[in-house]
Amino acid sequence: MQSLFGFGQSADIDVVLDGVESRKSADIKTEEGKKERHLLYYDGETVSGKVNVALKKPGSKLEHQGIKIEFIGQIDLFYDRGNHHEFTSLVKDLARPGELMQNTAYSFEFQNVEKPFESYTGSNVRLRYFLRVTIVRRISDIVKEVDIVVHTLSSYPDANNSIKMEVGIEDCLHIEFEYNKSKYHLKDVIVGKIYFLLVRIKIKHMEIAIIKRETTGSGVSIGPNSYLENETIAKYEIMDGAPVKGESIPIRVFLAGYDLTPTMRDINKKFSVRYYLNLVLMDDEDRRYFKQQEITLWRKGEKARKVGSGMAQSPTMNMPTHLVSGDHSRREVNVESDADVVNAPGVESMRREVDSPTGVNNSEATVDTSPIVQSPLEGNPPLMSD
Amino acid sequence: MFRSSMMAPQMSAQEEQEKMLDEALGIVKTQAFQMKRSLDGGKLMDGLKNASTMLGELRTSLLSPKSYYELYMAITDELRHLELHLYDEFQKGRKVTDLYELVQYAGNIVPRLYLLITVGLVYIKTNSCLKRDLLRDLVEMCRGVQHPLRGLFLRNYLLQVTRNILPDNPEDNAEESEGTVRDAVDFVLMNFAEMNKLWVRMQHQGHSRDKERREREREELKILVGTNLVRLSQLENVNLELYKKLVLPGILEQVVSCRDAIAQEYLMECIIQVFPDEFHLQTLNAFLESCAQLQPGVNVKNVIISLVDRLATFSQRNESSGGIPNDVKLFDIFSEQVASVIQSRQDMPPEDMVSLEVSLVNLAHKCYADRVDYVDKVLGSTLNIFEKLNVERVSYESAVSRELMRLMKIPLDQYNNILTVLKLQQYAPLLEYFDYRGRKSLAAYVITNILENDTLIPTPEQVDTVLTMVASLIADQPDQPHEEEDPEDFAEEQGLVGRLIHHLKSDVPDQQYLILSAARKHLGAGGNRRIKFTLPPIVFQAYQLAYKYKALKDQDDMWEKKCQKIFKFCHQTITALMKAELAELPLRLFLQGALAVGRIQFEDYETVAYEFISQAFSIYEDEISDSKAQLAAMTLMVGTFEQLACLSEENAEPVRTQCTLAASKLLKKPDQCRGVATCCHLFWSGKTIAGEERHDGKRVLDCLKKGVRIANQCMDSSVQVQLFVELLNHYLYFYEKGNDQVTVQMLNHLISKIHEELPNLETNEETEQISKHFSNTVEHLRNRMESPEADGVSYEGLVL
Repeated sequence: MQSLFGFGQSADIDVVLDGVESRKSADIKTEEGKKERHLLYYDGETVSGKVNVALKKPGSKLEHQGIKIEFIGQIDLFYDRGNHHEFTSLVKDLARPGELMQNTAYSFEFQNVEKPFESYTGSNVRLRYFLRVTIVRRISDIVKEVDIVVHTLSSYPDANNSIKMEVGIEDCLHIEFEYNKSKYHLKDVIVGKIYFLLVRIKIKHMEIAIIKRETTGSGVSIGPNSYLENETIAKYEIMDGAPVKGESIPIRVFLAGYDLTPTMRDINKKFSVRYYLNLVLMDDEDRRYFKQQEITLWRKGEKARKVGSGMAQSPTMNMPTHLVSGDHSRREVNVESDADVVNAPGVESMRREVDSPTGVNNSEATVDTSPIVQSPLEGNPPLMSD
Repeated sequence: MFRSSMMAPQMSAQEEQEKMLDEALGIVKTQAFQMKRSLDGGKLMDGLKNASTMLGELRTSLLSPKSYYELYMAITDELRHLELHLYDEFQKGRKVTDLYELVQYAGNIVPRLYLLITVGLVYIKTNSCLKRDLLRDLVEMCRGVQHPLRGLFLRNYLLQVTRNILPDNPEDNAEESEGTVRDAVDFVLMNFAEMNKLWVRMQHQGHSRDKERREREREELKILVGTNLVRLSQLENVNLELYKKLVLPGILEQVVSCRDAIAQEYLMECIIQVFPDEFHLQTLNAFLESCAQLQPGVNVKNVIISLVDRLATFSQRNESSGGIPNDVKLFDIFSEQVASVIQSRQDMPPEDMVSLEVSLVNLAHKCYADRVDYVDKVLGSTLNIFEKLNVERVSYESAVSRELMRLMKIPLDQYNNILTVLKLQQYAPLLEYFDYRGRKSLAAYVITNILENDTLIPTPEQVDTVLTMVASLIADQPDQPHEEEDPEDFAEEQGLVGRLIHHLKSDVPDQQYLILSAARKHLGAGGNRRIKFTLPPIVFQAYQLAYKYKALKDQDDMWEKKCQKIFKFCHQTITALMKAELAELPLRLFLQGALAVGRIQFEDYETVAYEFISQAFSIYEDEISDSKAQLAAMTLMVGTFEQLACLSEENAEPVRTQCTLAASKLLKKPDQCRGVATCCHLFWSGKTIAGEERHDGKRVLDCLKKGVRIANQCMDSSVQVQLFVELLNHYLYFYEKGNDQVTVQMLNHLISKIHEELPNLETNEETEQISKHFSNTVEHLRNRMESPEADGVSYEGLVL
């Protein structure tokens, strides 16, 4: 861009991060929902590079009050545009006030920066990390911001019990469901099964939904200044038709294909992102019965999986994962709670959706109103790109 | 559906089906086209998406099973393209990472599982060490479809595509990962159990008013379930041991526990049909024990019968190689198990119980043809059934009677020998359960069997038993209905009994006598209506026996006494017929007896003959009143006496005189004339005691003259001329035989008389006959005159 008046000197700032060739990058959504790709950093990694200042009019000088670079982590609440909540802010001076006679490059280094949170763009909140270079001038500063993406890695959780629970509606429906874990990493697979202990309603189908719940505002508890946003990330049909007592239905949901983030709890007292598995049964009058169960999502340190797709693969590399194991035999229907049930044994009640489309619009009930289930295969496939 | 039928009330259910199917097929066509284009263009993901959309059509709940099947066929046909494409890609080494995982992102379960199966198949085909685990995974994941129709077709797809790749290695010798036949069995058994559950579940969905339609639809779908069993039977390494240990128990457990009559009946039948007989033979107990546990609505009878029939056929087919192995106690097992089935199923209709016994008898016959005791055992257990059920009588119209009839006919039809049937101790007692009509019908069947096979019943005891068996045809029964039977039917039945008597026969004469006495006792109780059919054969048999004694007289000193006894027996028997107010029949029998006596000539035979003759005479005199019958009887008697050579002159003369006298005493003149003319023969060819012809020409002429005299007295000139022509023939006969008392003048006289009278007769048919008779006679004479026989009499002086 040319200078507004044609005679003032100006400059382009370019930030070149170290290791741009070898460092991985990752996608993140912008506020508008567009995908952007930035270099990826982890907590404690040094962020270093070069800042190139290129003068737009060679030969004339650029006067400045100093040049600095900042490393900033901040949380933006969309409904409170005025305030940025910085949780990290580091500054390095690149040059003292003076004059620039020619294009100049400055090295910088933020050593072992703490990046406690994961980059995130939600419906009401954004958590971003970026570098900001400022050439301070009397009238208008020249500023350049460069975003990076931060992923928080966890190690394998110590306690990772299965979720096992017997739920039901008295004298109508008793089921026992089991998810193999309570904590899943982002490329994990939910494996489980559902036993039908009592079926007195005519079930049409059953699905598992992954629900993301984003809460923003003070103290995370819902108050006047806080917002709660539920988003259904996935709807996944796991059963078609009406089972009878004694049936067991397998569950297998691959998570890698969905747009998920790690679970975030009370991030800087500003927001939380939690995930729930919602088991939904629909009867033939389109009433929905459901049970939500929170799961914890975490990001696993990547080592195991990333293998270049172009490489020759041995047969075993193409072995499908997570096959049903051989001992998946049918279980006797008994209501005794097992010893390893951690989550509240005994029967919990299921919820029935109040706004079921029965009643008034009864004549419409014959129309199939089951929601359109969007899945990666029907929508945009995630895995085919590599 | 309700809504759409309101919108288009004119559309029939069938048209609606067709329309919906057409729409679905349209989408399939479009998507399949797109899919192939995407695949050809290397856009796998797009192709999969098209496939998924196409498969989405199988999520419908609106199609009937038939339409759904069409849709399924169209779609799975297109899936073949996907499979082949993927297979080719895999073969070329271009594998898509995690394809198996990828297709599992499909949000809807039905398309997802079809894709999963298709992809899984390609994995297995390109890398057989995945076989076992993938098969297990697929069959498990299919649990997600619990909708009966959709589930059945999905699992059918699984079963179809895996048909050529099921691991079929012997259990002890195979690569672990590829799996053995045992894995294949597990796989199919699980698929079978799930499919059967789905199929059974169809029965319990929807309104009870649609029950019939549902059963029809289930009927259409049964083959899908049965295919699992076919697949099991096609596994080469399922040997007897594995079948016994794993396959059959697995199937039976599911069959019994599904508690659905339609399924049970079909599947039991399936087991019988698809697995080899050698297996059945070794697993009879398990199979039959399960039969006892089936639902009340199951026609266990049909199941067992089907098995019996198969094994029986097997036994016959393999007769050369020894039939049923010795270590398999086929009959005992069936017998026990059938008993326990009957025991455990209190609600089984009695006809089905009997019908089971029928199958047992069939089995016994086909597999153990020589074991009469087996058959008897079955009859015995049938008796037990009736006793337990407190059955007193089996009514003819009932289903039980029909089955019992089948049961009772089998030994007859199989042995084709009543003597073997008589060895069955329980046969007669069981027969007693039939009501009158049933017993009669079986009795007729028994007799027909004896007649058709020409079986001879050679001992008095056996005769006694047979006749007791057919008692309903022999004598009136206490439970006999009162209404009169159809006379034709009755005559036919009694005709059968009559024919039976000729089969009561021993080669040993003394034995034969006892047989006849025994039979006589039974038949004597038959009442007047029956004995006229049944006693004459006895009498004739007795005469035959007497001839036999005569033939064997050198071997039996007592033969004359025995003959006397026989004729006494006959006399009594004929007398019984007389008492039944019959006349002509006893008359004929006495005459026949007299002839027999005359030929046998035992001690004091003349007395016996005379007695028979005098009995005949007294019947003639006392019992026969109709003039036509009298003439007929007279003719018979003359014929008999003419033959008899056993009477001394002392007895013979009164007989002849009596005959002539009786003839002249007939009521009508023409009858008198003809009777007297017939009597001529007594004096000419009638025998002396020495057996020579009498040739008493004078007495002959007396008779002839008497005939002419009587003819002259006839008022009806037409009859008169007829008699003259007849008399002319008599004269002529004796003239030609050389009776010198008859002269040419006499002939001339008669001829001229006829010539004189004949033209006066009215022309009619009768006259024509008479003149024809006459002209034939004249013609005969003319021939004789023109070409006389060498030693013939002379016709000189004859005027024609």
